[in-house]
Amino acid sequence: MNCDGVVKLIPLYFYGELPPEEEERVEQHLHACAACTAEMERQRRLAAALDGMQADVPPLFLEDCRAALMAAIAEPRKGPWASFLEAAAAALAGLRRFQQPVGAVALVALGFFAARFTGINPAAVSAGEVYPVVRSIEPDNAGRVRIAFDETRRREVSGSMDDQAIQRLLLAAATENNPAMRVESVGLLKERAGSSEVRDALLNALLHDSNAGVRMKALEGLKPLAADPEVRKSLAGALVSDDNPAVRMQAVDLLVTRRDDAMVGVLQGLVQRENNDYVRLKCEQALKDWNASVGTF
Amino acid sequence: MNLLRSPEDARDVYQEAFLRVYKNLDTFRFDCSFHTWLYRIVTNICLDHLRKRKVRKEESAIVETGDGPLDRMDSFEEEAPHADPERSAWNKQLKARIDGALGGLTPRERMVFELRHYQGMRLRSIGEALGTTEEAAKNCLFRATQKMRSVLGDFV
Repeated sequence: MNCDGVVKLIPLYFYGELPPEEEERVEQHLHACAACTAEMERQRRLAAALDGMQADVPPLFLEDCRAALMAAIAEPRKGPWASFLEAAAAALAGLRRFQQPVGAVALVALGFFAARFTGINPAAVSAGEVYPVVRSIEPDNAGRVRIAFDETRRREVSGSMDDQAIQRLLLAAATENNPAMRVESVGLLKERAGSSEVRDALLNALLHDSNAGVRMKALEGLKPLAADPEVRKSLAGALVSDDNPAVRMQAVDLLVTRRDDAMVGVLQGLVQRENNDYVRLKCEQALKDWNASVGTF
Repeated sequence: MNLLRSPEDARDVYQEAFLRVYKNLDTFRFDCSFHTWLYRIVTNICLDHLRKRKVRKEESAIVETGDGPLDRMDSFEEEAPHADPERSAWNKQLKARIDGALGGLTPRERMVFELRHYQGMRLRSIGEALGTTEEAAKNCLFRATQKMRSVLGDFV
C-alpha cells in the first residue's frame, strides 16, 4: 500500500470505518511511514478542533421545542371559548395570589354558568357544522323522495387528561377507524393505565388492533402493569400470535421481567417455533434463569 | 442544532419532523427500524433547510441587529471569558475558520460529516438514512474532510 492510497483512507481509518484487513494494512504503513503518520496527526487535530466548536444546546432547549410544538398544534384549533376561558383562568390565577377565597368562589360561579350555558364539561369550545350520513332513499310515485339520514355534529372540547369526559372521548377514539387517531389516543391513554377502563382499552388494542404502531403504544402503557395476571395473559397472547416482530420483542421483554411458572409452557413453545432471534433468545434465557428446561419432551 | 447552527431552524425542524412522522405513521411498515425511519425523515428535513439556506446565502448565521451584526450561535456558546487574551483571539479566528469550512461543504457533505463526527453514527446507517449507499457516504465523508483540511490550513 503506497502513501497516496493511505492518505485517502486516513479519514475512514480515523472514524473506524475500514474493514479489518484494510485497517491492518493502514496501521502497518503508518508504523513505517513518518509522512503518513503526520497526516494522521493532522486528521486528529482537525477532529479535536471541530469537537471544541460543538454547539452547546441550552438545557431547556428540548422542552422549549416541545412547548412550541404544543402551541403550534393548539393554535389553529383555538376557538373563542378557549381564548376566553384561558384569559379568565389567567385572570383568576392572578386574583388567587391576593384573595384565594374570592378566586375560588369565582371559579365555582364560572363553572356553574359554563355548565348551564354549554351543558358540557369540560369547556365546550364550539358547535360546528352538521354532517349528514344518508341511510336510505325511497322515491315514491308522486315524484317525491323520502330520505333517512343520521346527523353527525363536529364539536371540540378541551380539558386535562385527568378529566373523565376527556378520557371517555379518548377511549372512543381508541377504536376509531382512522389508525392515526388510534395511535394518538392510545399514546395519551397509556399514561393513565391505572384506571381499569383504560387498562381494558389498552389490552383490547394490544390484542385486536390491526395497526402495529397502536399495539406498540398499548404495550408501552401496559409496562407498569406487567405484574397483573390479566395483563400477563394478554402479553402472552401477543407474544404467541402477533405477526409483528417488534411487538413480540416488546411483549417478551415485559413478560420475562419476573419469574412466572404459568408462562413456562408458553416460552418453551416459542423456543421451538419463534423465528425472531431476539425473542427466542430471551425466552431461552428466561427459562434458564427460572431453572426450567428450555426444550419440551 | 449543531448542524443547523440556529435555534430557530432547529425548532422548525423539530416541529416539521413531528408532523411528518404523525402524518406518515400509518405508512411505516417495519421494513426498517423505526430509528432509521425517523432519521430518514429528520435528515431530509435538515437537508431541505440547508439547501434553502444555501440559496438564501445565510450560511454564516449572522443576523443584522440594531447593534450591528450578531452571530446567533454566540449566545449558545457562552464560553467563560478566557484568562489568556491571545488564546481567546486565536480561538475566535479558529471558530470563524471552522464556520467557513463547514459553510463550504455541500448540504449532503455537511449532513454526512455531522452524523459521523458529532452524532457518532456508522456510515452504513448514514447511507440508509440518506437513502444512499455506504460507499456514497464514505465518499462524502472523504470529500468533507479534505475540504475542511484545505480551508483550515495552518490551524490544524
